[in-house]
Amino acid sequence: MIDREKAIEQLSQIKVKGNSDGLIPSFNVLVNFLPSYFWNSFSEKLLKQAGEDDKLYADIEEGLELAAAECGYHTGYGIITSEEFKSIVGPMIENEPEDILHGAFAVFTAWGWADAEITSLSREKMVVHVKDYYESDIRDTFAVKRPFGYMIRGVSRAFMDLGYGKPYPDGLGAHVCRQTRAIELGDEYGEFVVTQRA
Amino acid sequence: METQFIQRFDRRRNFQYVNDEPSVMHCHHYATLFTRLALQMRSLGGPELLARAMEENFYLVLKKYYIRYVTGSVEEKIRVAEDYFALVGMGSLSITFAPSGGKAEMRHSHVDEGWIEKWGRTDYPVNFMGNGYLAAVFALAAGRLVGGYRVEETESIVTGAPLSRFVITEKGGPA
Repeated sequence: MIDREKAIEQLSQIKVKGNSDGLIPSFNVLVNFLPSYFWNSFSEKLLKQAGEDDKLYADIEEGLELAAAECGYHTGYGIITSEEFKSIVGPMIENEPEDILHGAFAVFTAWGWADAEITSLSREKMVVHVKDYYESDIRDTFAVKRPFGYMIRGVSRAFMDLGYGKPYPDGLGAHVCRQTRAIELGDEYGEFVVTQRA
Repeated sequence: METQFIQRFDRRRNFQYVNDEPSVMHCHHYATLFTRLALQMRSLGGPELLARAMEENFYLVLKKYYIRYVTGSVEEKIRVAEDYFALVGMGSLSITFAPSGGKAEMRHSHVDEGWIEKWGRTDYPVNFMGNGYLAAVFALAAGRLVGGYRVEETESIVTGAPLSRFVITEKGGPA
């Protein structure tokens, strides 16, 4: 059983900044630490350019989610195999992969991606509720057509791939994620449902 | 004065902040796939939009930083901009500034090295995020608005060059 609050408290205190080469090599990837508005801003600009072209709009959405899925899969693997994760979350793990996934969502929150927590989990399906996420801030500047939580969708399905897919690095794409509630469209929280890809 | 990089976590929203800017850690997979998406959407001006998003955001981030911490010269603003780029993990930048334009070199680049790590070398530049950052730095140093400078990447780590080089020119109009 993961003590989520304790895990977030400790994981969120990990300090990250560039080395003498201006790079942040961590968790088997190069990390960047940019303003969250930057990521929203590019997505907004691109989707606005797509305008009423539904095919183009959908292609952009797919690209945004794919970016997050690959990020979530590779960085997620780096995180859950890291010394930091093992030392903070490792002692709380009783059941695998369930507790690892709960721990991964504590990292998800601690890194500032989203205040995301698994509310239901089985091998076939995972439901994630998100109280706050930076992507929902898009509502301040852009009336989106559809839910805008591309990053959370991609990372959530990637985490399920890590938990229940083929061993890394061959498991990416085994799951899909639908966003069924969206703060950016007026809901109180975001809801993300991950299932096996048909 | 050493460039400030104050990271804190806000438990109210569960957001990370760098120098009071809501910030988020992502990886080279994310940055390079955004870059590739920009290229795929070239018909919509994808590369320019990615550069513009970076320029607009860092124009504000650096402007707020300068107001708060920088009391000195243009040279200090440039040094802070170089430091800031490195501190957020985007690479090592060396800038030569003049109001009419200038140049920059990047000895390491998050985007280029991430791209090579993921897909190998290309024969075209991909560092649109770096372009946007430099445009913001020059506009601020010259006291101009966003959009005042054009940035061209003339050599790129991603193509096999030992470092990336950029030429920055003033677009014209009133300063």
